[in-house]
Amino acid sequence: MKKTLLILAAAALGMAPLAHAAKGNAEAGKAKSTPCAGCHGPDGISTVASFPKLAGQHRDYLYHSLKDYKTGKRKNPIMAGQVANLSDADMADLAAYFAAQKGLAIKY
Amino acid sequence: MKPITMTLCASVLMALAVPVQAAGDPKAGQVKTSMCAGCHGIPGWRTAYPGVYSVPKLGGQHADYIVAALKAYKTGERSHPSMKGIAASLSDQDMEDLAAYYASSYSGPAK
Repeated sequence: MKKTLLILAAAALGMAPLAHAAKGNAEAGKAKSTPCAGCHGPDGISTVASFPKLAGQHRDYLYHSLKDYKTGKRKNPIMAGQVANLSDADMADLAAYFAAQKGLAIKY
Repeated sequence: MKPITMTLCASVLMALAVPVQAAGDPKAGQVKTSMCAGCHGIPGWRTAYPGVYSVPKLGGQHADYIVAALKAYKTGERSHPSMKGIAASLSDQDMEDLAAYYASSYSGPAK
């Protein structure tokens, strides 16, 4: 019984960060997106082909990418510098903002 | 053989050794998407545990970026188990063609 409770508690704790990572505020993200615009375009449509378009990309993919740059799992000298000072909430907000723009599409 | 002739021969051989790589062709790319579509072509599809997140949309993405991403997966610079395996099976030309397909508005032969 106690063991079950412990497992349940651990599971609940484990899920907490996931729930927190969700959403993000697009409007707050827009206000924080100025540094991104230089390469990715003001609304996430980059004009330089080596920089990915972000507009319309999945929110959780964008968030995951920023996290990976931050932890160093994904390596890119430019992005490493950009994410260094971003909080978890900043990354969620930025992801929400770019995901809400019109751009990329699912293509079969 | 005179040195100049040898140099010329060497240059010709080196030029031939460089793989011929044409610009990406969306039509050629479209027929190579069988390995991509199962994840990237399905709305709401997510990656597997431990990192569960939506697979990125590719439609309309820059071809240069897609090629760079595929090459980074192939070399291991960018890590993702499924993408590493798939990228490893692609030639440079395949990558160019796939990237051209996803970047373009071409969606396949008329049915």
